Amino acid sequence: MQTLDITENDQKHHQDPFLVIDGVSKVYPTPRGPYTVLQDVNLTVYEGEFICVIGHSGCGKSTLLNMVAGFNRPTTGEICLRSKPILRPGPDRMVVFQNYSLLPWMTAFENVYLAVKQVYTDKSKEEKIKIAKDSLEMVGLSEAMHKKPKELSGGMRQRVSIARALSIRPEVLILDEPFGALDVMTREELQEELLAIWRENRVTALMITHEIDEALFLADRIVMMSNGPAANIAEIIDVPFDRPRNRKAIADDPRYYTLRNYILEFLYNRFALADEAE
Amino acid sequence: MSTFLEIDHVSRVFKTNNGQPYVAVKDVYFEMKEGEFVSIIGHSGCGKSTVLNILSGLDKASSGGIVLEGREVSEPGPDRMLVFQNHSLLPWLTVRQNVGLAVNRVLRNLPKKERDRIIQENIDLVGLNHAADKYPREISGGMKQRVGIARALSIKPKILLLDEPFGALDALTRGRLQEKLMQICDESKISAVMITHDVDEALLLSDRIIMMTNGPEAKIGQVLTVELPHPRKKLEAVNHPNYYRLRGEVVNFLDRQKQIKIERAKNKSNAAISLGNVEKTNLTIGYIPLTDCAPFAIAQEKGLFAKYGLDVTLSKENSWNDLAEGIREGRLDAAQMVTGMPLAITLGMGNKIPVPVVTALTLSRNGNAITLSNKLHEEGVHDLASLKAYIDKFSDAYNPAMGMVHHASMHNLLLRHWLASGAIEPDKDVDVIVIPPPQMVSNLMANNIIGYCVGEPWNVRAVNSNVGFVVATDLDIWRGHPEKVLGVRKDWAEQYPNTHLELVKALLEASQFCEPLENRDEVVLTLAKPEYLNIDPVYIRPGFAGPYRVSTMEAKYERDFCQFGVGNMPSRKEHLWVLTQMARWGLVAFPENHTEVIYNLLATDVYRKAAKELEIAVAEEDKSPIVLADGSVFDPADPIAALRSMSYSKFTETSYFDAVKGFATKKVAVRQ
Repeated sequence: MQTLDITENDQKHHQDPFLVIDGVSKVYPTPRGPYTVLQDVNLTVYEGEFICVIGHSGCGKSTLLNMVAGFNRPTTGEICLRSKPILRPGPDRMVVFQNYSLLPWMTAFENVYLAVKQVYTDKSKEEKIKIAKDSLEMVGLSEAMHKKPKELSGGMRQRVSIARALSIRPEVLILDEPFGALDVMTREELQEELLAIWRENRVTALMITHEIDEALFLADRIVMMSNGPAANIAEIIDVPFDRPRNRKAIADDPRYYTLRNYILEFLYNRFALADEAE
Repeated sequence: MSTFLEIDHVSRVFKTNNGQPYVAVKDVYFEMKEGEFVSIIGHSGCGKSTVLNILSGLDKASSGGIVLEGREVSEPGPDRMLVFQNHSLLPWLTVRQNVGLAVNRVLRNLPKKERDRIIQENIDLVGLNHAADKYPREISGGMKQRVGIARALSIKPKILLLDEPFGALDALTRGRLQEKLMQICDESKISAVMITHDVDEALLLSDRIIMMTNGPEAKIGQVLTVELPHPRKKLEAVNHPNYYRLRGEVVNFLDRQKQIKIERAKNKSNAAISLGNVEKTNLTIGYIPLTDCAPFAIAQEKGLFAKYGLDVTLSKENSWNDLAEGIREGRLDAAQMVTGMPLAITLGMGNKIPVPVVTALTLSRNGNAITLSNKLHEEGVHDLASLKAYIDKFSDAYNPAMGMVHHASMHNLLLRHWLASGAIEPDKDVDVIVIPPPQMVSNLMANNIIGYCVGEPWNVRAVNSNVGFVVATDLDIWRGHPEKVLGVRKDWAEQYPNTHLELVKALLEASQFCEPLENRDEVVLTLAKPEYLNIDPVYIRPGFAGPYRVSTMEAKYERDFCQFGVGNMPSRKEHLWVLTQMARWGLVAFPENHTEVIYNLLATDVYRKAAKELEIAVAEEDKSPIVLADGSVFDPADPIAALRSMSYSKFTETSYFDAVKGFATKKVAVRQ
């Protein structure tokens, strides 16, 4: 694995490993024989880190995050959270998808309340209502909480998804291209909100994205995947920008342009997809 | 060249539910040449799709219209083919049949054999031969979009209209399709108009980018010519030294539109708030985060603006160009400017409308350096003579490039003068290009440029990162040259004379504070704050509050490297030197009424009044010749003779300059 020498903050982790992906492979049976999606993936994530995973379609990054979420199990190897193997989905890991996956007949509040009710079975109704309301307030949706998804803009719907995910105080927030469907302005606004929420809630975030600028703005480390089949982590980049991050300050940093072109080079030359495969 | 397509003052008004008319776009005007690729970019709701729909004939303009090859078009037709985001293929037809749909209808007079050949040719063109007999459900989103493009191109439209063609695809798939489209457009000389919100996509594909302001009444805010060589490949494009400057122009425009949207929502305005005899107390002042913005930072942090009754918002600008536009359009009340900028805006440099600007204060002197890549050092370059020997090795076909920050900056003029004094001809032996300061180091690292001339902290940054060395500071070129000045629009100065005076007083006092060495540490710590340079003081201190670092091995003690409180009165002869140099390099014509132009430019009366009230001695005007370090002498009494005697001068003849109409002759090749 290569490292890029301009990332000066070669931070030494004194913490214990938090989430460990250890020798994970995933093989699917197909009519034409077994198909290896991921092969021998290793990654250690520390508590409170923000990790972005980038790679071409079909590189298995969603498969990887689905296994962290517990929707799916590795064929070999294991994924441990605080040294305990992940076997099934749990409220300690919440997922936000691109398509919001809200229930259309429920209001924003009801969508969040649903998650709160399922997890906090021992709390009183008043407490549960308060948690749901606080979560919506955190994403700036207090005024729109009684609206149904179809009355909300794409950006607002994604805010509801984030509020729902965070309402039950997960330790790991998994985001699968959450802003892919939004326009640039809303996307940037939500990125900034996500960073603020991530910082305040001290949650560990794993996010899939295709946008290099998004990864450079959000992540502590960018995990770059090779192409499938048998995809793997090809390289990890430390993102050296100070926090709290400011978009303008990053645009003023010469390292931004070097990193951006380096990642472009990775995706368009070193790990370019063959034309037909697309 | 004749006009191919003209969008002639198109406006579109919609009726809304409450009966109020909604003006979506207003007075949109542009022309296109045949074979040109133009992108329209803007935030959602800027009316860009409205313009494209009118172009395609799907919608009609409320006023104005579309003229294609001399004929007005108002209905859809096969001469304009539209490609949508959602590729609209018929699911029960194969790729070949989907492409054939258009050919068999529009070109039905051709024999079947010929039609089949055209269909096959276009399938090959987009590289889909291997999937020609597959159905849409069997191919990826990117491939579907290629079918859409093949279908549109197959009937040889005069113009291709693309409505966010790759918007539904992920960023990476998008990148590869963009390259494919670029290749097709290059090879087949296609004229196209594309709507997009993706800045990189627009840069890769376009000859020009049209940037639209927010609606309602959206209009063209800025037009950018994309000077990147063809054929373009994504990675070659992003590594071109111009790339991130051009990208910055578009990103900054979109950012500004976003800010305007946010401010509009907050209902903030720049309307004057007066107090006592100060006509306007609320000021927005533009600056660039460089160490010599110190007077602005100090005036703000030490309450000097407030002391003189001003409530100042400092606006950190993304580039000198942005800052100049801010002054031109009135977004900014005043600004820190490179010395030549008041002249450049006044004269309408770069084919712009002249906007008279005045300067009442010289804010700083010196502070620049020329950095060369360490790679050149390894090849034996250590001074001007060895640089000349290095550059001479290149064939005429290839020019190495050097960076500077703005055409009207001292960086440009001093760099050019320095090169010329060493028998290196700018524009012929070496290209001199504009790169925003923060991108200098990365361009140097990527070998896109061999060096640059810029202010601090960007030379120190290259030295400390061990990628470059300082071959000369500006003390080695013109010791004591004016560097940054205060600039305001002339009409602004006339409307708010007391405000102008108080502003000059505040900044003059701040400049005086920044001068003595004992204050410099405090200034360094102020500059390092996030709202200003947002950088480690290590990068600010060298040359500013201690020895200057020329390389990792060598430091120099230069007391005068950055001056603030010296010679603050605007000097006629210095601005005249700048004007002759701008004419020497063909940036502007040389005004035959140059005395009048310079006289109108300098608000020395405001300076004198401010200095008197601050009890600062005002020296007599110095009319003696300027002697530069290379021994060249500039006599302000006869600038035209000086211009004629300068090496490599592009100057031919003078032209009368009228403050409203501009130059009488446009014979001088005005570049920018």
